[in-house]
Amino acid sequence: MTQAEVIAQLQTIFDTVFLEPVVLTPAISAKDVPEWDSLTHISLMVAVEKSFGVRFRVGEVENTKNVGEFADLILKRKLEP
Amino acid sequence: MDFGEIKQLLLANDPAFWARLKTQTKSARDFEELFLLSSLRKKAHARKLENPSAQAKRIRLAILGGYSLYPLHELIEHLCEVDGSPVELWQGDYDNYISEIMDDDSELYTFAPHVVFILPAERRCTYTGHLTDTRELQQAEAQRVVDGVLDLARKVNEKTRAEVITTNFMLPARHDLGAFRSRTLGSDWSFRKWVNLELGLNAPSFLHICDWEFLANRLGGLAARDERSWFESKQPCSSTLLVELAREVAQLIFSLKCAPKKVLVLDLDNTLWGGVVADDGLEGIELGDTSPRGEAFKAFQKYIASLKQRGVLLAVCSKNDLDKAQEPFQKHPEMVLRLDDIVSFKANWEPKSENIRAMAPELNLGLDSFVFVDDNPAEIEIVRQFVPEVTTILLGADPSDYVAQLADCRLFEPRSITSEDAERTSQYRSDAQRKALEATVTDMASYLESLQMESVMSEFVPVDVPRLSQLINKSNQFNLTTHRRSEAEVIAVMNDKNFAGFSVRLKDRFGDHGLISIVIGEKVGDTMKIDTWLMSCRVLKRGVEEEVLNELVRLAKWKNCSRLAGVYLPTPKNEMVRDFYGKMGFTLTAESETKREFELRLEHFSPRETKIKIVRQAYAGQ
Repeated sequence: MTQAEVIAQLQTIFDTVFLEPVVLTPAISAKDVPEWDSLTHISLMVAVEKSFGVRFRVGEVENTKNVGEFADLILKRKLEP
Repeated sequence: MDFGEIKQLLLANDPAFWARLKTQTKSARDFEELFLLSSLRKKAHARKLENPSAQAKRIRLAILGGYSLYPLHELIEHLCEVDGSPVELWQGDYDNYISEIMDDDSELYTFAPHVVFILPAERRCTYTGHLTDTRELQQAEAQRVVDGVLDLARKVNEKTRAEVITTNFMLPARHDLGAFRSRTLGSDWSFRKWVNLELGLNAPSFLHICDWEFLANRLGGLAARDERSWFESKQPCSSTLLVELAREVAQLIFSLKCAPKKVLVLDLDNTLWGGVVADDGLEGIELGDTSPRGEAFKAFQKYIASLKQRGVLLAVCSKNDLDKAQEPFQKHPEMVLRLDDIVSFKANWEPKSENIRAMAPELNLGLDSFVFVDDNPAEIEIVRQFVPEVTTILLGADPSDYVAQLADCRLFEPRSITSEDAERTSQYRSDAQRKALEATVTDMASYLESLQMESVMSEFVPVDVPRLSQLINKSNQFNLTTHRRSEAEVIAVMNDKNFAGFSVRLKDRFGDHGLISIVIGEKVGDTMKIDTWLMSCRVLKRGVEEEVLNELVRLAKWKNCSRLAGVYLPTPKNEMVRDFYGKMGFTLTAESETKREFELRLEHFSPRETKIKIVRQAYAGQ
């Protein structure tokens, strides 16, 4: 799986969660999307973990700066045994 | 769950959005689904899409506790609004609940809540000493936790008159301490169980327990917790349990203003038994312990009987001929439910919606207090469409799931205690006490003596007439002649000098049984004919029968009679008194299929001894 493929899958999740369409790019982050507040964030993370079958470690999502870094984190966790 | 359609409704500003939202909210189990529905709801408000069934009056709800209340508050707000009881929310700060409650000037009190929901911090519900400390020491600390929560609740209630909801405490789900866990009150496991029990048993009537222990247990201890979400954002539990917690709070708030359902309307074929009685016959239906399916149907009936015991009225609505439908109730040995358990029995070929509509005035209840259960989707649909006030439950394909479906329907839960409930409870309790006593007293005579029974015998008086007529018309088992009488006919007996009728009341040290026996004697020459002798079976073998005979003999002599004549008229239900007169010392004088006649000559009669104190005799002073 590549970063682009991860972002494509993320796009479908974001399309479900957000009412206004958001086009995901590696550079985009929460502050660029009005609907993406701390509440929707919790919900997004639950959906992402389910969809990708991963579990993030405590505090690490907070440290990603944009969708690109977040996609890389998903990849890293997916590659773990 | 598909969100495409509901989003389209929202984008089109279609008011049908709200009905769709309600349906999807009902079935949403996942946190992110429910959360998404809630954001759609908020967006609908932002777009000024009006909810046609929205209520103007909002309940002011304050949420406070030892956790982040975010996004729990969001889910609660959503569920309450969709349930039709919208709330205006006030949230306490993270772990600031004690000072928010104790400080008289806190914002909580400015908000003036109608309902306050408290989630006390779990980390304060733990034993701080050593695992091997004495039980007294550990229990004292657990008691302090209980008192702490109760004091907070009391303080809030005193200041605001609000209803208070508090969570209790989740139990640990890890193997820690092993088997030692349950040998000490010092483990979180035992400590919290004890606290939860005491909290519930000592909750005053304004305090409602949101049973977090139960909810976590129902979901599964491991799935209930999420340590990461605690460290990251001070969440009280896993997101899955958060949904259940929010649902429970919404349910508690809903139940504060809505009465539970009162009537359960039952289908028959493939609901109470397997098969179709009109086709398969009495012997062909599946019911009872001879097959697994039959056992499942019987278990369902037992559960329904337990609902009846709690006060739910049972009714039947079946597409059948009446006699065929009633046959199992009368003749099938494995039936748990019998005809006298059913307050309204509709078996005919009219639409079920019409039958149920007809029951409401008959039982003097609103249709909104009815619940209808059927295994047939078409019948459920017709009731849903034509009597939408009625709540329907479509039973699944497997009868072994039927009990679970009813037990989880949340429609028949007892609510906050009214004085009437309390009275009923005290009645239950005195029954239980009586039974406990029965178990401790070894011989019957000393048991009866210990009951301290007192009885009042009274001639018929106008104020008793409705009760007399009611008992005369419904008493079946201990009833020698089953002569029925209307109120007017009872009054006629009362005013006729040739009749000597009397009623018997009984009380004992556990409670008052009320009017429990009725006798009507008719003087014909020198004979007192016993026209009616009936008694409530609840007081069998207490000596009431003997005292009634004493009284009857006394009245017969007073009316210048020298013999009593009794007759037993058999019915399908009064087999238990077939030999009653014989046992009471009467002589059998004639016997046929339809009647057994007895007599008792008064010169040989000596009054029977019992443990009942007769406080008053009938016709006293006449």
